[in-house]
Amino acid sequence: MAKVLEGPGMGLMKKWGIHVPHYAVVTSADELSKLGHVNEWMKQTKLVVKAHEALGSRFKLGLVKVGLDLNSAVAATKEMIGRQVGSITISQVIVSEMVPHKEEYYCAVKSTREGSEILVANCGGIEVESNWERVKRLCLDVGQGPSPEQLEKLAKDAGFTGSIAKKMADFAGKMFACFDNEDAQYLEVNPVVTRESDGELVALDAVTLLDGDAKFRHPDWNFQFAAEFGRAYSKDEVAVMAVDSKIKGSVKFIEIPGGDTAMLPAGGGASVYYSDAVVARGGKLANYAEYSGDPPDWAVEVLTEKVCSLPGIKNIIVGGAIANFTDVKKTFGGIINGFRKAKGDGKLKGVKIWVRRGGPREKEGLDAMRALKDEGFDIHVFDRNTPLTDIVDKALQK
Amino acid sequence: MSILANKDTRVVIQGGAAGVNAARRMAEFCYLIKRPLNVEAFVYPPDAGKTNEIPYGSGLIAIPIYKTIAEATKHHPTINTSLVYIGADRAMKGGMEALDDSHIKVVSMITEGVPEKDAKLLGAHARKLGKVFNGPSSIGIISAGACRLGVIGGAFDNLVLSKLYREGSFGVITKSGGLSNEIIWICSQFADGITTAIGIGGDAYPGTDYVSYLEMFEHDPQTKAVVIVGEMGGDLEERAAEWYGAKKRRVKLIGVVSGFCQESLPKGMKFGHAGAKEGMKGEGSARSKSDALKKSGALVPATFGALGPAIKETYQDLLKSGQVKEPIEPAVLPRLPKSIEEAMKADEVMVAPLIRTTISDDRGDEPCYDGYPASELINKGYEIPHVIGLLWDKRLISKQEAEIIKRIMMLSADHGPCVSGAYATILAACAGIGLSQAVAAGLIMIGPRFGGAVTDAGRWFKYAVDNMMGVDEFLAYMKKNVGPVPGIGHRVKSLRNPDKRVKELVGYVKSLHIKTPCLDFALAVEQVTAAKKDNLILNVDGTMAAVLVDLGFPVDSLNGFFILSRTIGLIGHWVDQKRQDSRLIRLFDYLVNYAAPKRREVPPLK
Repeated sequence: MAKVLEGPGMGLMKKWGIHVPHYAVVTSADELSKLGHVNEWMKQTKLVVKAHEALGSRFKLGLVKVGLDLNSAVAATKEMIGRQVGSITISQVIVSEMVPHKEEYYCAVKSTREGSEILVANCGGIEVESNWERVKRLCLDVGQGPSPEQLEKLAKDAGFTGSIAKKMADFAGKMFACFDNEDAQYLEVNPVVTRESDGELVALDAVTLLDGDAKFRHPDWNFQFAAEFGRAYSKDEVAVMAVDSKIKGSVKFIEIPGGDTAMLPAGGGASVYYSDAVVARGGKLANYAEYSGDPPDWAVEVLTEKVCSLPGIKNIIVGGAIANFTDVKKTFGGIINGFRKAKGDGKLKGVKIWVRRGGPREKEGLDAMRALKDEGFDIHVFDRNTPLTDIVDKALQK
Repeated sequence: MSILANKDTRVVIQGGAAGVNAARRMAEFCYLIKRPLNVEAFVYPPDAGKTNEIPYGSGLIAIPIYKTIAEATKHHPTINTSLVYIGADRAMKGGMEALDDSHIKVVSMITEGVPEKDAKLLGAHARKLGKVFNGPSSIGIISAGACRLGVIGGAFDNLVLSKLYREGSFGVITKSGGLSNEIIWICSQFADGITTAIGIGGDAYPGTDYVSYLEMFEHDPQTKAVVIVGEMGGDLEERAAEWYGAKKRRVKLIGVVSGFCQESLPKGMKFGHAGAKEGMKGEGSARSKSDALKKSGALVPATFGALGPAIKETYQDLLKSGQVKEPIEPAVLPRLPKSIEEAMKADEVMVAPLIRTTISDDRGDEPCYDGYPASELINKGYEIPHVIGLLWDKRLISKQEAEIIKRIMMLSADHGPCVSGAYATILAACAGIGLSQAVAAGLIMIGPRFGGAVTDAGRWFKYAVDNMMGVDEFLAYMKKNVGPVPGIGHRVKSLRNPDKRVKELVGYVKSLHIKTPCLDFALAVEQVTAAKKDNLILNVDGTMAAVLVDLGFPVDSLNGFFILSRTIGLIGHWVDQKRQDSRLIRLFDYLVNYAAPKRREVPPLK
């Protein structure tokens, strides 16, 4: 699932015929004042300025300013750009026109197992969140599109009447077209408003989640996907992602500040069971990591170095199930090299290492790990006869 | 019994290298259970018409490759299952092609990163046709003692350790590929092993869910209990719980779910497989899934570690109630033949080597010449002549010897375009022939009349010196037994028009005040022969030969010095012609003496 920021999200909606306010994404106040010279709407309407970053609660952080004229918008932009919020530096703001309106509505399309679901409500904003029963749904099987009659019925079910029902049906149809053609997994507009000037429905806000796996058939997706957890990726995370994009198999790494148990397990399934075991034992995760699909040893070595660099760690869990085709000796070779490098750099002092694994060439791999004891590592090695997560129990025994 | 994959399963594999690897793993399993290979064909358009060689035991089986599924099933009408190993961007087309073939009932997709919409379309299409679409991102399906689809089950040793050669009583359904193997192992250690294990893939919307397979297991009398390994995200585990709780089921259900760590993670942070995402309102969390399973009456161990004991407990109950009996293990199991390398490593075989070498070895991280690492030679100041000394005569020559060799090579690197070697290379270059062939054409000219007299000259001068012959005695011997003295005589040079190269080399070697018996003898021979005829001088071949013999090089290596140094010139000529983009050349008629018979009538054929 790949999150897309508001600007490119609005761009995709516009592409499929949905009315959106005039907007521009700028990286400096100067850029905005230059744009103000040539864009009439910036002078004629009140403006909204929002930080254009993957941040939650922007309103509370003072990163949304409304009802501004161009000069105030330039000032607001100046104030926002460069601001540091946690690990994120705000580098872009989105400036859009205020659309005068009275009524607010809600429309979304989401992915379901059978296909998709179109959601419509005749209330919007925070009102819809507290009145979820007013949201009406139209379920569609995959490969099937909504008919105009179905859409109109949906709008009427949701309480729309007269000409606005037809407009809402049309709006929802366009939302579905955008969802279906752009390989979206979730599209939400809240609120949808009636523009006072011409009575058209306009999308004031866009939540857009796309299917990152479908990027190969969307050459016009020229935007970056945003981190989904409310902070920017760290340097080490970006480094591991760069390795991941180059190799057969995969390596993954996410830091969790403040933890003391470092994770270096194999497999997307087993890695979560290991994390669960740490939490269940009262440990604090210092990271999430995973390598799978028989990655090259150098990639695992890079991952190992990053894991060893986590501050304040006491244990490293090198866990894994019985691999199908990942070569245990080869991937452990990468981990061993990483450990040696880290030790050479003065890291791993007082850190205990716990190993459990099975799979092709497990004996050779585990023997090589055991041999690290002779090099002064505090390492504890177990084979398939020790249940998967028992090393976590041993590591975190009080 | 088993579900989905059984002894009648015949397979087509769609895809290239990954598919071939899977076929190898499948052949190992077929060998273990003493059944013929279940892979009938591959579909891979780039290699259509060829075959893939799949090792089976100690032999190889050729499996044909077709362009389309239709061709494969036409030639192999028993095919009923397809494994898809095609890249994510073409996987849907391949999967649809397989589903649409009337022979094929089960399609399992291994491809990862397939767009969600494509996976849903494939799943919906399969349901419409009443077929099974498993995956994407599936590690495979394995039925113990009957059929393996994909790499599930791992290496051969693991197949044996996990007792996959015979049926057990437990069904397994997992999203994770790695954990499928772990559960198979656990079932074999804590109970009597598995019937069928299925990897459904970790995507958000797998083509077939737990419920469909639970229904199949429910109808398979051999399967007494099913283990499902869930992950947070989606609602597949809840649906499984709903199915189990809906009415009394014959099979026991044991389930674990991962993702409890989510509760203590920063908001929005997600781990694991693509499908592991929580719903907007907290549905799909590990806790809600785990609770749903418990409520349905399933056995839900608190942790993954408690799964083994839970399976054991279930197995003991089944034994007690007489529903299962202790399995009988086969006395002997086939062992996978080792490769020669593995067998040698284990000291199990002795191999008579085909060739023997005494000069170099590149099996380490760099080549060693007569034992010396190349980089160390470089770093300690050794040069090309020393490498020649090591590889041709297995000894580290001195600085002085190296200098002589260097000079010999510099003097004989080229001799203009008109000599046989260079001319042949130029002719070839002008005919558009490539570098190695054109240079080889030049090298082929080196023989008794051009450049190839060094070895012979050295041999006879050495013979004379070794036998302490006088010049006259030597010349008489040569006249009687050999013919003209190799190394003596030149086509154009003479006493009055001496060869500067010879003068240079002789002058340098003499200036070193080293012992040069061969060179001295050769020069003495020249005194006599040149007196008889002006051009019977010691030529450059003879000079090189005498000097190199004096340096101790073996006679058989001597032509090598000319071949090596002249190769420098030949390469130069080829590059030179290439650079000029020279045109094809042919002899002019006036350069040929046409001495063939005049044109005449052909008599009738008799």
